[in-house]
Formats: sequence, C-alpha cells, structure tokens
Amino acid sequence: MKVLVAVKRVVDYNVKVRAKADGSDVDLNNVKMAINPFCEIAVEEAVRLKEAGVATEVIAVSVGGKACQEQIRTALALGADRGIQVETESGVEPLVVAKLLKGVVDKEQPQLVILGKQSIDGDNNQTGQMLGALTGMPQGTFASEITVNGEKLKVTREIDGGLQTLSLSLPAIVTTDLRLNEPRYASLPNIMKAKKKQLDVLTPADLGVEVTRHLTQVKVQPPAERQAGIKVEDVAQLVDKLKNEAKVI
Amino acid sequence: MDFTFTEDQQLLADSVATFLHREVTPERIRASWEGEGSDTRLWQQLVELGLPAMLVPEEHGGLGMNELDFIQIAQECGRVALAEPLVEMAMIATPMLAQLAAGSQPCARVLQQIAAGEARVAIGHPLNPAVADAGIADWLLLASGREVHLVPSDAATLIRQDSVDPSRRLYTPEWDRTAPTYRVAGEEAGAAAWCAALNRGAVLNAALLLGLAQGMVAQSVTYAGDREQFGRPIGANQAVKHHMANCAVQAEFARSPIYRAAYAVAQDPARAHIAASHAKLAAGEAALLAAKNAIQVHGAMGYTWECNLHIWAKRAWALEKNWGDAGFHQERLHAWLLEDTTDIGAEHTFDYPAPEALDSAA
Repeated sequence: MKVLVAVKRVVDYNVKVRAKADGSDVDLNNVKMAINPFCEIAVEEAVRLKEAGVATEVIAVSVGGKACQEQIRTALALGADRGIQVETESGVEPLVVAKLLKGVVDKEQPQLVILGKQSIDGDNNQTGQMLGALTGMPQGTFASEITVNGEKLKVTREIDGGLQTLSLSLPAIVTTDLRLNEPRYASLPNIMKAKKKQLDVLTPADLGVEVTRHLTQVKVQPPAERQAGIKVEDVAQLVDKLKNEAKVI
Repeated sequence: MDFTFTEDQQLLADSVATFLHREVTPERIRASWEGEGSDTRLWQQLVELGLPAMLVPEEHGGLGMNELDFIQIAQECGRVALAEPLVEMAMIATPMLAQLAAGSQPCARVLQQIAAGEARVAIGHPLNPAVADAGIADWLLLASGREVHLVPSDAATLIRQDSVDPSRRLYTPEWDRTAPTYRVAGEEAGAAAWCAALNRGAVLNAALLLGLAQGMVAQSVTYAGDREQFGRPIGANQAVKHHMANCAVQAEFARSPIYRAAYAVAQDPARAHIAASHAKLAAGEAALLAAKNAIQVHGAMGYTWECNLHIWAKRAWALEKNWGDAGFHQERLHAWLLEDTTDIGAEHTFDYPAPEALDSAA
C-alpha cells in the first residue's frame, strides 16, 4: 500500500509570533521554521504503518518555495521513502493546495493520504476536507486511531462528547488529531540517509493546476493584551464576581 | 577558506537542539537527583538518536564523525544543562578508545558496545581529581602513571565524593593496578593518549560552558523582561541590561575560539593544545561572568534552590575547574607564547610574507 503524507512548513510552535509593524502579515524574519506538528503526526503514522508491514512506500509531499524542502527532508529522516515538492510561492491558500495535492494523488495513486487536521499558522482546517471533495475519496478527519484491515480503514475520530468510529473503503483520506501518536525524533544516521533519498520537484503546470488567489489578507494584528487577574478571598466572592462583574452565571 | 559549518553539521546540531529543548527540562534534571544521577529513559533516547555512536569509527559500527561535527551539539547540551554524561563519553572517552583500538582488542570491543548503545564509559584523567559519573558507567578509562587502564566498573571500588553540582556524581576509583588485563596502553602510547584526551576535554568543557553561559543569559533576559518594579520591567534599567549585554558579548567572543579549537583537535592535533587552552579560558570567563550576573539579575531568587538558575550556575562553577583550571591553561599559553619558535604574527595566520621578506624585496 502506497501512503502519501502532506507536510507543511510553518513557524516553530515554540516561537512567539509577532505581526509586522504595518500589519500586513506575520513577521517571519529570522524566525525558526519547522514541520507543522499535525503533519509530523501524519508522517509518524505513515511510518508506523510501514513498520507494521501495512504500507510499502511512504511519500512526503509539500507545497511551497524551495525552503519547504527542509521539511520534506525532515519527513524523510523520520522514515518517509521519497519526497515531492510542488514549487509555488509561499502562502498558497487551502483550495489551491488541495488542487495541487489532487494532482499528486492522480499521479501517484496512493491508497491512503494522511494530512494534519490543520496547520498551526493558518488554522484553516480545510485542505484535507477539500482534497476529499476534489478526489471523491472517503475521509476520516480528526483521527485519534486508525487501523487498516484489508481494503477497509477503521478511523476513530475525536468529536464533541466522545469518540466516533468510521469504516472507510480504501483509497481514503485521513486527517490527524493530536492524540493519534507521539512522533519520534529523527536519529542522526537517518538524518544523514535522508540527504540521499529521492526528492522530485514539480510545478503546478506539471499537475495541470493554475495557481490563482481567491483570498486577500487584509490585516494581521496581535490579540488584545489580557488584563492581570486578581485573587479572590473565598468562593462566595468568586461567585459574586462571576455573577455581577463577568455576568457569566 | 570557508569556516562555516556544513549544511549537514548544522542540520545535525539543529535536530539535537530541538530534541534537547523539548526533553531536557529542569524538572527532569531535578528528578534525576533523586535517583542514582541517571535518567535511564533519557539515555535510551540519546542512544536512539545515535549520539553516543557519532565519534565511533565506522569500522567499529559507529558514524565515523569528528569533534567538529559534535561541537555545536556539546554547546546545546550545555544550554539545557544536560546532566547525562553524553559529551564526556562521546567526545573524550570514545576518541581515546578509538586512538588505542588498533593495538587493543578490549578497546575495540568497548567501541562496538558504545556504538550499539550497550555500554557507557567514564574517564578519569590525571588532571581531574575525581571521575564523573563512574557509578553509572560500565567501563572506566583510568590512569596509572601514564598507562591507560580499561577497567570494568564492577572491578573497581568507587568512593563517592562531594560535588557542588548535584547532577555530577563524582567518585574516586580504586582498582588492582597490577592486573595486566586492564592495561590497554603503556607509558609512551598512554602519555600521547592522555595528552590528546586533555585537549578534547578542554574543548568540550569550553563548549558546555558556552552553552551554559548562553542558557543563563537567556533565562535572565526573560526574567528581566517579565519582572516588573515601579511599573516597568527591571530589564529596562541600564544597570540590569548592561550586565546581561556584557555576558552576551563575552559568550560571543568565546564562540570562535571554541569552534577553532574543535577544528584543530579534529584536523591539526599538533597545534590543538594552544587552541584548546584558549577556548577553555574564554569560555570559562564567559560562564563565570554569566553565572555571577544572572544571579544578580534574578535578585534574591537567583540564589535559592527553588529557582532553576542554580542548575546552570553550579555546573558552570564545576566545569570551569575541570580539565584544567584557568591557571593551568594560562600557563600553557604563556609557555607557548614565550617559545622562540612560536609561529605567531600575520605571516603565520594569513600566509602573508614575513616583514623581513618585504624589506628585502623593497
């Protein structure tokens, strides 16, 4: 079974992001970039499927500028077999990413596509679902557990109030939630080996996709500063404040 | 010449730094103090990453890298105050075993065990008064005169010594020095091996000290930005921020000598002793200044057990005296500077013609 994993280059989750002075975007100058944590979970799951003998090949794909090859190499160091970069300018919107990924799916014909449920920069939570719609493949989003059983895929989803289990026919699309697994760290020998693994670069034209922009980012601004909290003397005072000041009860 | 680190070296250092910053927390270090001074799970993770095997030659199952590949990793280990004896084992004991392996089967076997993650080695250099982390080692590299002895740890009696740094468990070993099976290098080969180990030890300690200094500066800058007095962060005051700026500058000035020393140890061992001493002195000064100023910036809290800063400060105080104190390394530099044959000056640094040659040409 061939598994396609999408990985995105985002600001490292430890970085405290700042808006540019003119409010046009987030300031990415000298900011540490990393693989999106949900994508890292997706790579880990694919590698585990390979180690379990279920998957035969894991392909990591990313959409973006040359810099995103770094994140593809990270995925290769974690255990993916080869990589594909679809070269575009950075900041491509989810619908275009989904169209480009569909192009890769058509080309590679994977039985399973695993994506992070969302990226921690845009927080859109759209690409996996859009890819499902474009390809017509069944989708299991927010997966906390997946099991491949022949031509069927069992996906346990985290939903409000509990867990939902779906049975999907392969080929299928899965988006990962935080608790699906705990990603490993790449070992030094694997980091060295990753440099030698195949990494193909495609253009949107190769995939027959036209990159168009439907959305315009109007403004980026930091959240309002929170005011300092206070300590209350007792429960009665807390209830009083919740009732009369916050007016939440 | 391009002295920047290669893409591979930078990638390895970044990967290990990410791991260390996520996994090595002050809470985890404090927890290790409660036991035998070792976090078994953390060591296993370090083995899985392949770190102990980095400097093991490929013919013994390692990655065949050198000190320059490891130096930034050592710096990151200092930045998080890693308590595990990774750096001492991987960068001093392992190359020493590799140096001796050609004439010693036991050394070759232990190298294979290190590469497989099955053995830890502690080293007792004659310059250091005690052997760090001997209690959790499987093998001890010890000096008997100039000879090198490789002793199974269960064949030695380990006498515990006090340490200012709770993360460093110090021991004085006693063993049967007459047993021929322990001897892996005689007087001549042993002297060369101990000399090379001293240079590596000084360089790695320098890298750890630099990392510690940078870690303390980072914590203090964060604290000075968060802690408010009289309605503004204390870091806004020149008396605070200039102290930390001095520490940052001192640390930055230590960085180049350390990288140069790592290069010398890896590529030019004949001149490594000077570079190693220079690096150790520069890093020691930077770390001591950072510890002193960081405690001041933290105010009274900086001196307490509850504040994490002391984990870094105590390590800096301990390591600054290890592998030769400032006096020892100053003495080495003074002796070299005063030699008639010392190759200092621009003509030796940049291959420029000597001043006399220019005069005669004119």
